[in-house]
Amino acid sequence: MTQKKRILIVDDDPDFSTAIQKILSSANYDVDVAGNVKDGMQAIEDKMPDLILLDVMMEKYDDGFNMCYDLKHDDRYRSIPVIIITAVTEVTGLKFNPETDGEYLDAEDYVQKPISAEALLDKVKRLI
Amino acid sequence: MSVDKARILVIDDEKVIRDSCKRILIAEGHIVKSAEDGDIGLSLFKEFRPDLVLVDLKMPGMSGMAVLEEIESSDANVIKIVITGYATVSSAVDAMKRGAYDFIPKPFTPDEILLIVARGLERRHLLLESEALRVEREMRRRNMISLVSHELRAPLAATVQYLEVILGGMAGEISSEAKEMIDRCDIRIKELLELLSRWLNLATFDPMKIAEHFQDINLSDVARESIEVLKSLAEEKKVSLSLDTPKDLPPIQGSKMLLEEIFTNLIGNAIKYNKVGGWVKVALYEKDHEVWVEISDNGLGMKEEHLSRIFEEFYRVDGRRNAPIKGSGLGLSIVKKMVDAHTGMIDVESKFGEGTTFKISFPKFNI
Repeated sequence: MTQKKRILIVDDDPDFSTAIQKILSSANYDVDVAGNVKDGMQAIEDKMPDLILLDVMMEKYDDGFNMCYDLKHDDRYRSIPVIIITAVTEVTGLKFNPETDGEYLDAEDYVQKPISAEALLDKVKRLI
Repeated sequence: MSVDKARILVIDDEKVIRDSCKRILIAEGHIVKSAEDGDIGLSLFKEFRPDLVLVDLKMPGMSGMAVLEEIESSDANVIKIVITGYATVSSAVDAMKRGAYDFIPKPFTPDEILLIVARGLERRHLLLESEALRVEREMRRRNMISLVSHELRAPLAATVQYLEVILGGMAGEISSEAKEMIDRCDIRIKELLELLSRWLNLATFDPMKIAEHFQDINLSDVARESIEVLKSLAEEKKVSLSLDTPKDLPPIQGSKMLLEEIFTNLIGNAIKYNKVGGWVKVALYEKDHEVWVEISDNGLGMKEEHLSRIFEEFYRVDGRRNAPIKGSGLGLSIVKKMVDAHTGMIDVESKFGEGTTFKISFPKFNI
């Protein structure tokens, strides 16, 4: 049997993280949770996840975007796929579509909160 | 920019005028550049970014009027003053219509030009100030909306996410009675999320912004796509859907996204407020230089007293909270706003118990 894949969730909403963790573990992934950017970076260094689920708005409006940018400009972490998650819709004027968002283009995918278990697992499976 | 020191561009084919303007204005502490014709003037305008431009109306090559128009369309907040040797009323009026702030007849004394320039710069100062205030107010409004939206959506999203886990059986078995109730919770919260998105749509809807991205759109395509989206709803409600459109319907100027929203909203309503075996007809045609859309049904219809109010925000014909058909009461007010943004008109005819027809007209787009 191959080794379990490891996923890191970085989100400041512990309830949301718990629910997502449940969904991912039910599909046999190892899941770690971090509640802010600092803990997230630490967890990435310690555990080297295979994939990162990253919330956009944490302490600051664009924490997630900035963290994604940093990861994708760091040779050690560049290759870890990132899925951006957000509760905010496009109408607020905040952009987060990796296809059109030059600087954040490097995020592999993005999802909107809430997300169906099926859709989430689909996206994860496509990347790892 | 301070009122006393500004960037000024002089466009005049007469060297004497250029040099004297320069001398007078530089002595006042302004930064001055000059150009001998309209083409050079406009390219200098782009890199120099002046606060104020003095333009001669009569120049060889590009006319002063054309220069004025170009500058007005690229930045209306730049003050334009016309220099003219033939200060007729009609040419001055013409120039004002093209955005000129004032005009100065040749020949002029240093005091005359200084006075007019000072007045123009004061005007510039006011324009920039009000522009800055407007932008700030808009930013604050948008930030507020994003924040509220995030604060409201986040707890709902977390709740729905938990329900997803429970309903997916990832938190152990639940009784069928409990499952039924959790299903309802899931539906109700998702409705609330949907309402929130609609409200946000309404709150952030900016017709001016939208119009900047208009393209020519064939409404037949939009109607077809919207009907495709609603097919399953119609089948479920046993309502028949038909489209009647000429092959050569002229295009209109619009936003595909918004037009789809208009169609799906109205067709969706016509299906929802219908009866088993009912029909919904979508007809497109050209009349009086306009493209017309008619969406009619033989559904429930509305009473006279509701008709004048259905485009109001949060107005619901069936005002009861537990009405058999769910809706936010926002759909038609958004539709009206979107039709307005396309400089269209929307009207409704309805007979209680017999059906409803919405008629929309859009100005035809001519190339």
